[in-house]
Amino acid sequence: MPSPPDPPGLTTCLRLVARGDADAFDAVYDQVAASVFGVVRRVVRDPAQSEEVTQDVLLEVWRDAAKFDPGRGSATAWVMTLAHRRAVDRVRSVQKESERERRTAVADVPFDEVAEAVESSLERERVRRCLGSLTKLQRESVTLAYYGGYTYSQVASLLGVPGGTIKTRMRDALIRLRDCLGVAS
Amino acid sequence: MRHTRDVHTLAGPYAMDAISPPDRARFDRHLARCEDCAREIASLREATARLAAAAAVSPPPALKARVMAAAAATRQRTPAPEPEPALRTRPLHTWPLRTWPLRTWPLRTWPLRTWPLRTRPLPTRQGRPTPSRRLVMAAGGVAAAAAVAAAVVFGVSSGGMRDQLSQAQASSQQVAAVLTARDATMMTGAVRGGGTVTIVMSHSMRELVFTAAALHALPASRGYELWLIGPAGDRAVIMLPPARHGMTGPVVASGLRPGDHLALTAEPASGAAHPAGRPTTPMMLDVVL
Repeated sequence: MPSPPDPPGLTTCLRLVARGDADAFDAVYDQVAASVFGVVRRVVRDPAQSEEVTQDVLLEVWRDAAKFDPGRGSATAWVMTLAHRRAVDRVRSVQKESERERRTAVADVPFDEVAEAVESSLERERVRRCLGSLTKLQRESVTLAYYGGYTYSQVASLLGVPGGTIKTRMRDALIRLRDCLGVAS
Repeated sequence: MRHTRDVHTLAGPYAMDAISPPDRARFDRHLARCEDCAREIASLREATARLAAAAAVSPPPALKARVMAAAAATRQRTPAPEPEPALRTRPLHTWPLRTWPLRTWPLRTWPLRTWPLRTRPLPTRQGRPTPSRRLVMAAGGVAAAAAVAAAVVFGVSSGGMRDQLSQAQASSQQVAAVLTARDATMMTGAVRGGGTVTIVMSHSMRELVFTAAALHALPASRGYELWLIGPAGDRAVIMLPPARHGMTGPVVASGLRPGDHLALTAEPASGAAHPAGRPTTPMMLDVVL
């Protein structure tokens, strides 16, 4: 089980959602909407588009709740994986040059500002502390990839480091984060 | 070898979606045959989920209303519905209920193992086979393996089970009516915690006959309760009578509705207003109608 575990009842709620339970979906929304919107906004940046993507993600949760398999991870991880992928899909589908430039500027956001404008929370502090325990290259790799929505090869060229090195650093970084955050493997 | 090592190093980028579509496809193929890798990705995604949580920002309040409205207008997907060729070839009687979706999804979401159960159509008076349906039940816990073995035995000896059903309470006209319905369909399955269940269901009558064998014995203060769980809410069917010679029932559940699930839970002997611990009660048995 992950630590901290899913909010009480999220797994149960998702099961009920899979059976078409609208009240359960209401409860799921309350539990995940802020995290979904938060990560989507980090990646997509544009507020209006972020709302669109967030809506798409939550609708996907409604539509595909039956696909959630608790044997393969927590409910939170399932939802956030959907959210992040949708966000990344959105920014990568916009391949215009101007968009790329805008995103390059975004990439310069230091990780300390990652949680900017976020309600203060213990969780955020823990993540910040664990990000701080990474090497600089690991941290930059993770923040550019996860919050910036870059591919590892884009991260490699942004940081001027070989792609193979970045791949390895990303994996090492996530393993360290996982262990630091007390997520069971 | 080098190729394999290359693929492994994609785990980090993959877990963060920091990967090109061709690399993603390559890693997906790899994941399908690398159990360790799948576990690693799952654990890394628990970590990335925390990165998402750390970025949480409340969305505009109006978004919730939009999402809820959109959900209400969006049909849910059911993974891989079972084909029902027998229903398509049935010559007569277009029962409204034959279009019920045969959905197996709630069981896939359970953390325990699931087994498809075989359906044995009962012979009808016309000698025509009745429609075949599949029933999926979940079984788990320490007694899982034994329970499954029992289920297989029951599936094979369906004729014997039918005899037991008929003998148990042939006096009940309601039971007999279901058992002899021309669309009667028999299903057997294992119960988590031990025991097997046999159901004969008539879609046209919207009724089913339920019997159980070798259910795990409960203390006197507790009993098994049968439920219908569906879009219409939870409905208690009946507290099962105590087992006699290891056999419980038969009892009849009426008023089946599309989307209903049948659940068996262990409850206080006086009965419960709602199934306890839904849906993870160890004794729960799920039948998708």
